[in-house]
Amino acid sequence: MAKQGVDNAEMKKIGMIQQKQKEYFALRLRVVGGDLNPDQFRKVAEIAEIYGDGNIHITTRQGIEIHNVYYTKLEKAKDELQTVGIRMGACGPRVRIVVACPGDKTCRWGSIETKGMAARIDEKYFGSETPHKFKFSVTGCPHNCAKASENDIGIMGGILPKWQEEGCIDCNLCVNICPTQAISCENGRYCLDEQKCINCSICTASCPTNSWEIEKKGYIVLIGGTMGKIPRLASRLTGIVENQDDLMRYIDAAFSYYKQHGRKKERFGHMIDRIGLEKTKGDILNEI
Amino acid sequence: MKYKVAKRLDLHGVPCPMNFVKTKVALFGLECGDLLEVILDEGEAIINVPRSLKDEGHKIIKVEKLEETFRVIVEHG
Ligand code: SF4
Ligand code: SF4
Ligand code: SF4
Repeated sequence: MAKQGVDNAEMKKIGMIQQKQKEYFALRLRVVGGDLNPDQFRKVAEIAEIYGDGNIHITTRQGIEIHNVYYTKLEKAKDELQTVGIRMGACGPRVRIVVACPGDKTCRWGSIETKGMAARIDEKYFGSETPHKFKFSVTGCPHNCAKASENDIGIMGGILPKWQEEGCIDCNLCVNICPTQAISCENGRYCLDEQKCINCSICTASCPTNSWEIEKKGYIVLIGGTMGKIPRLASRLTGIVENQDDLMRYIDAAFSYYKQHGRKKERFGHMIDRIGLEKTKGDILNEI
Repeated sequence: MKYKVAKRLDLHGVPCPMNFVKTKVALFGLECGDLLEVILDEGEAIINVPRSLKDEGHKIIKVEKLEETFRVIVEHG
């Protein structure tokens, strides 16, 4: 690869990002949901030492970058990473690495499995060309550790609670711990305001008699979140979607809509603001 | 609240997870069915401590909102 012939836009597609020191590149690795195995970690360390200057950078989106790789060494570094199954990340106007929190495998609050979900999204969308950069995140519950609402499409686990009179000892704990005051009590009867409920499962997890039961559990789709120069928090596209195949249909409809209507260099959320949230949601849901 | 509590504990200002640890220690000296009154801060404390107590097999009987705190009655499980 001759230095003169380096096409930066092409390089970005495969996660090779030119540094301000023009002969040097950062190698961005495709780390889905922040997980690597020990062999991969060892290989990353080895490559950073041999082909870079030993610097390994953890990005804000759970990714890993090997910095200061001289341009003549890029191909070899990439090939060697591939031997342990590490593929290259992406930069530029396309789908980036999918982030995920640990989810229900290890977190007591997790309402969904996040890693497999992130892998499924990564498999289907990673690297797809989009009007501007496009970020996915999968977070296990409304605690939102993986910041689903800061991503173009965020998937969030959640539950819908239901009160059962039987067993309730009228302790009033649920009313006092619901973070959005979605639970109220009248004459010993507890009511849920679904508009206020953020599906966090704090009530079902804490009720001493399990009188708050999980009626529904699944995925909530958020669209149009972004940080950057003009931050915008994502908006809810759906309520709780119980089935993973249905979820993929919602994601697909939202993603296609953005690809079709987003202007060059316009993030999904800013497109939504231009078109209008209600219209965008209506159009997307109409496609399902 | 008219409960016959065996012990009282004021954990106002005690952060997580020390508030839970202190509650546990207090319950350790009690017997099954005994009641403990704990004052817990709003925010993290009132969300975390009752849930952890439930995980340990104890039971919240009543929660009453005070100014910036809650009075919580726990039954030893
Ligand atoms: S978002 Fe929920 S499931 Fe994921 S790590 Fe945070 S608390 Fe756990
Ligand atoms: S926390 Fe459970 S037992 Fe207590 S009032 Fe609410 S529903 Fe009833
Ligand atoms: S799920 Fe969360 S927001 Fe909804 S009622 Fe229960 S505690 Fe409140």
